Amino acid sequence: MSDIRLHPESLPATNEPLRIAVRRMRWFKSAFLRYVQASSTELGCTFEVDETKLAAAFVRWLESIERQKPTDKTQRRAFFEFAAALMLRELTSDMPLKVSGTPAKAKADSAAAFWPEGYCCTMFCLSVHAAAMAQEFKTDTEIDHAADDLRQWWSFKENAVTDASFSAGFLQLLLGREPNWVFPDVFRARLSKELE
Amino acid sequence: MSRQTPVTPDAMPLREALRGLRFMLRRGGETLVETLSVDSLPKPAADLAGAVLREVGELARSVDGMASEMAKTVLGGHENQSLPLQDMIHQQDAAGQFAAAFYVALSSVVRRLGAPSVFISEAAAKSVFTRTATHDPGVSTTRQAANMTISLIEAKVVRGTTAEQAARVPGSALEPVAIFAVMLWLQAARSEAENEAALDAATDLAVALALDIAGACTQRNAEQIEALYTRLVPHV
Repeated sequence: MSDIRLHPESLPATNEPLRIAVRRMRWFKSAFLRYVQASSTELGCTFEVDETKLAAAFVRWLESIERQKPTDKTQRRAFFEFAAALMLRELTSDMPLKVSGTPAKAKADSAAAFWPEGYCCTMFCLSVHAAAMAQEFKTDTEIDHAADDLRQWWSFKENAVTDASFSAGFLQLLLGREPNWVFPDVFRARLSKELE
Repeated sequence: MSRQTPVTPDAMPLREALRGLRFMLRRGGETLVETLSVDSLPKPAADLAGAVLREVGELARSVDGMASEMAKTVLGGHENQSLPLQDMIHQQDAAGQFAAAFYVALSSVVRRLGAPSVFISEAAAKSVFTRTATHDPGVSTTRQAANMTISLIEAKVVRGTTAEQAARVPGSALEPVAIFAVMLWLQAARSEAENEAALDAATDLAVALALDIAGACTQRNAEQIEALYTRLVPHV
C-alpha cells in the first residue's frame, strides 16, 4: 500500500449524495478548483486552471459514463471505480492545468515533482472516488504501492500524451486492479460479456 | 372611502431607453478612440484632437454614469430574480419577471464569456415570453425553453455584437451560446445561494458545447435544442 495521502476532506460539502453532486458542473468545478488550491499549497507551486478545458473534460466524462453505464445493478460498485478512471482519461486528454514554477515542497524524485499536473489530476480523481466509495459502500480506498514507483508515472506521462485511454488503466492500477491494457477505457465487465 | 392600489407605471421602456443611451455612448466612445489615431497626427493637430477626445470621453462618462445609476437605482430591474422557468411559465403575468431575470443573467453571462459590451433588450425578452410561454401541459418545459431560445435569437435580444467578440467562444456563437446558457440556468434546480455558481456552471457547459448549440440554433432546430437541454439540465 502506498503512503500517498488523499485529501477527500478538501472536497466541498453538499447536501446531495456525492454520486449525484459530482455529475453537476457547479460541484465538480468547485471541487476541482479547491483541490488544485490545496495541492498548490502542499507542493509549493502555482497551477493555472483553464476553465474552458475543464468544462469540456467534464462534458466528455458525462458522455462516456452515460455510454458505458451498465444496466446490471451488480456491476454498480465496479463501475464507480471505472468512472474515476474515465474522469482521469478526460482530464489528461486535454490537460486543464498548467504549473508555473517548480513544486518547491515536493521531493525531487517524487511523482508530484516529475509531473505536477498529472499528479494533481490523478489525486483529485482518487479523492473523489474515495469519498464516493466511503459514502456509498462504507469502504476505505487504499492506493497501490505502484503510486510510489516513479517508473509507473514516467510510463503514464509518456503514454497518456499519445493515447489518453492509458490514463484510465493507470488509475485502475493505482486502485490495485489489473487493467485490461488493450481496452483500458472500456468497462471491463461489459467488454467481457461482449467477447463471450 | 375605498382604497385603490395605485397603478405603477411600467418602468421597463424607460429602463430600456436609458440602457440604449448608455450602450450608444460606450460603443461610440470605443469607436472614436479606435478610429482616431491621435499619435499619428502632427503636433498641433494631435493636441487639439487629444483635447476633444478627453472632452467627449468626459461627457460620455458622466451621461453613462447617470444613465447607469438611473437604470439601476431609480428604475430597478437589477435584482437577480431566480424562479425556475417551469414556475414562471405557470404563473400569471410572469413575462416581466422573466425579462428582468433574463436581462440580469444574460449581462453576467456575456461578461463571463469575455465579450465587450453589448445591448440586451429586456423588452424583446418580455415580448418573447408573452408570445411563447404556454400553460399547455402537453408541452414540456425543455421544449418551451427551446422554442423561447429560437424566438429570443430571432427577436435579436442581444444587439451590437461584432465578428471578433468574446474570448471563450467564436464570434458567431456568442449570441446563441449566451442565450442557451441563461435558459439552461433558468431550468436548473438550484438554491438562492447557488445562483451564481449555477449560472457559471451553465455558462461553462454552454461553452463546452458551443458548436452543437450554434449549429442547432442556426438551423432553428427546436428538437436538437430541446435534446441539449434535456441532456444538460440535471448537470448544471
